[in-house]
Order: sequence, then structure tokens, then C-alpha cells
Amino acid sequence: MNWLADAGELRAFLDAHPQAARICADLPLRANLSVIENIAVIPQYRDNLGYNAAADLAWTLLTQAGYSDCAFKRDPDLSHEERFVAKLLRAAISHPPVLLIDRPGMLLPDCLYPPLVRTLLERMADRLNDCWIVDYRWNEPLYAPR
Amino acid sequence: MQFLTNFLTRRGAALLATWRIWQATLRFAAEALSASITPSTYNSATRAVVMKQIYFTAWQILPGFTAFAALLSFVLIQIVVSTAARFGLGDYALEVSMRLLVLELLPLITALFVALRSGSAINTEVALMRIHNEIDALESAGVDTFRLEFMPRVVGGMISVVALTAVTSALALVLAYLAVYGFQLWSVPDFNRVMGKVFGNAVLIGTALKTLAFGLAVTAIPVTEGLAAPRKLFMAPVSVLRGMVRLFFALMLIEVASLAFKYM
Repeated sequence: MNWLADAGELRAFLDAHPQAARICADLPLRANLSVIENIAVIPQYRDNLGYNAAADLAWTLLTQAGYSDCAFKRDPDLSHEERFVAKLLRAAISHPPVLLIDRPGMLLPDCLYPPLVRTLLERMADRLNDCWIVDYRWNEPLYAPR
Repeated sequence: MQFLTNFLTRRGAALLATWRIWQATLRFAAEALSASITPSTYNSATRAVVMKQIYFTAWQILPGFTAFAALLSFVLIQIVVSTAARFGLGDYALEVSMRLLVLELLPLITALFVALRSGSAINTEVALMRIHNEIDALESAGVDTFRLEFMPRVVGGMISVVALTAVTSALALVLAYLAVYGFQLWSVPDFNRVMGKVFGNAVLIGTALKTLAFGLAVTAIPVTEGLAAPRKLFMAPVSVLRGMVRLFFALMLIEVASLAFKYM
């Protein structure tokens, strides 16, 4: 897990890695789909996987992350933590070469997020390649020195 | 003078906005039609959306709408049959009632019903998707939203309007037979002869095209209006209002064009 400090570094990073899968507050879930459907729709569309196979894959990821309880909830019923997990798994399901978590504090406003993010990324390690976090400079003490 | 300049500027801007949205609608409808007949457009996800759209637009309303159409057809057939008999024109009652119901009223009523129920829902959903940035979120996940979200809705809507029109028209034929000939089967050849006269090839093709145009309008207009909604939540109701008004005019225009083509 690496981290970037500000908007300038984020822009440079996105220019260098245009294929990076972003997890951020600006890219929400589809409100009228459940969490499992939001995750399954990616392989269903991109790899032409049947719904059952795609939903099985999404269920496996949710179980692996430890959040299968929220599988059938829709966005308005999710806690911040569950919504973050759903976005993370939606990005992770397509094995992106680079994953970028954009200002996790905006996605997880009511918890000390570095341990949570670290735990989740460890659980999903087999699905993820290069993980980056961009955060405000004043949150630097939350992360290991660069 | 300043007042006149402001007035003309405002009217001109409104006219240009209207022109742009109709242009966008026509472009979207053409792209959706061309994508819908391209087999490579379809995959597991798009087929699922098409099926969902047909389920919500046609299957869910089938019992209630069929009952309503049967009642309306029965009442109108009775009115036409009894009025024609009173004027000594009983021989034309069947033909007139079928022209009125199957060729004109039922396709229009079906399109209006689907527009009210599904068109408004599609308009709202697309507007909210745009306002909440859900379209960009899907695009950034590598999903082509035109192919996943919008084109399947058009296909589902067209299939639904055609299917509902076919079901209600078939029911109207049965009711017309019962109203004119009663509960017996030996007048079927006479009935077929009249139907053959009413439903010539050109008329059937014209009605099929009109019904397809209705199906295209009730989905393409709400989608483009939703996509044109400004990214402000309070504009969602305005987007639906505009979409429904444009849809009403488009349906009436299709109907008037079809009448003019058929009877002039």
C-alpha cells in the first residue's frame, strides 16, 4: 500500500496510470441495484459472464472481505463502511493493475480508517495488484513513512 | 428596446435549447435502433436489462391493463354496433369498430399507459443517475452505459408496447366477434372476410410501424431528457415534466401522421 499526499500528486499519478481503478466519493454505486448486483454487473458486462456465475463471484468476494451481510442491501441502506467495501469490491472484481483509493476520509468519515483499509486490502490481497491511497497532507502521520 | 432585445434573446435561447434536445433525441433513437439490431451489442448484462425492462413495462401490468382494455373495447364495440344498427348500417359495425379500436385507439392507449408508467420512471431514473454521477461511475469501471443502461431500455420498451398492443388487439377481435355474432362459431368465415378487408398488408405494416414508433418514443424521449438534466437534484422533477410533455406531443404527432398517411 502506497500513498500520495495531495491533488497535484493525484493528477500526476492518474496521468501516468489512466487505467487505475478509482474508489472515491464522486463515483457512487448504482442506487437501484443491491451490493451484490453492483459488483456482479462488472464481470457480467465486461466478460459476458452469466448472472449466476457473476453473482457467485461477487458473493465469494463479499465473503472474503467479511461483509456478506450487506449483499442484498441497496446504497441508501448501507453504512459508510459497507458502501466503501462495495466500491472496493466493484473495483477489485476485474483485477485492476492499479487500485487508487481517493481520500478515504470522505468515504469513511466516522471511523479511524487506516486500520480498516489495511485489513480489507490484506483480505483481498490475492485480487489486487498495486494499491495506492491519496489523502490530505495533514493525515500523513496515519501512514507509514514514504 | 432593451425589453424587446431581452425578450428575443430569451425566446431564441429557449428555441435553440428545444432544437438541441430534439436533435439529441433523434440521434439517440437512431443509435439505439442501430445498436438493437447488431447482435454483438448484446451480452449477459444487456439481456438482463432488456428482460427486466419487459418485466416492469409489460408483464407487471398485463392483467390490469388487459382487463381495462377489454372493458373499454367492449363498451366502444357496443356503442358502435348499437349506433350503426339504429341508422341501418349494421353491416359496417364490425369494420368500423375494428378500425377504431385495433388500428387507432388501442396502440395509442397502450403507448400512453406505458409512457405514464414506465416513461416517467425511466426519465426519473436516468436524471437521478446523471445527477448522482452514477453514469460516470459505471463508465470508469469499464462499462459502456449506452449499451448497458440505455439501449436495452429502448429495446425492452419497444417489445413491451408491441406485445401489449398485440394482446389487447387480439382481445378486441374476440370481443367484437362476440358482440356482433354472439356465442357461436359458424360466423367465423364472415368475420374473417371482414377482417381481411380491414387489415390489408399496407394497413398492417403501417400499424406495426406506428406501434414500433410509439415504443421508441416512450423510451428514447425519457432517456435523452434524463441525460440532459442539469446536475442539480432540484432539477429532477423539471426534467421529468419536460420529458413527459415532449413525449405527449411526440405520441400525438405519430398518431396524426399515421392518420394522415392512412386516410388522406
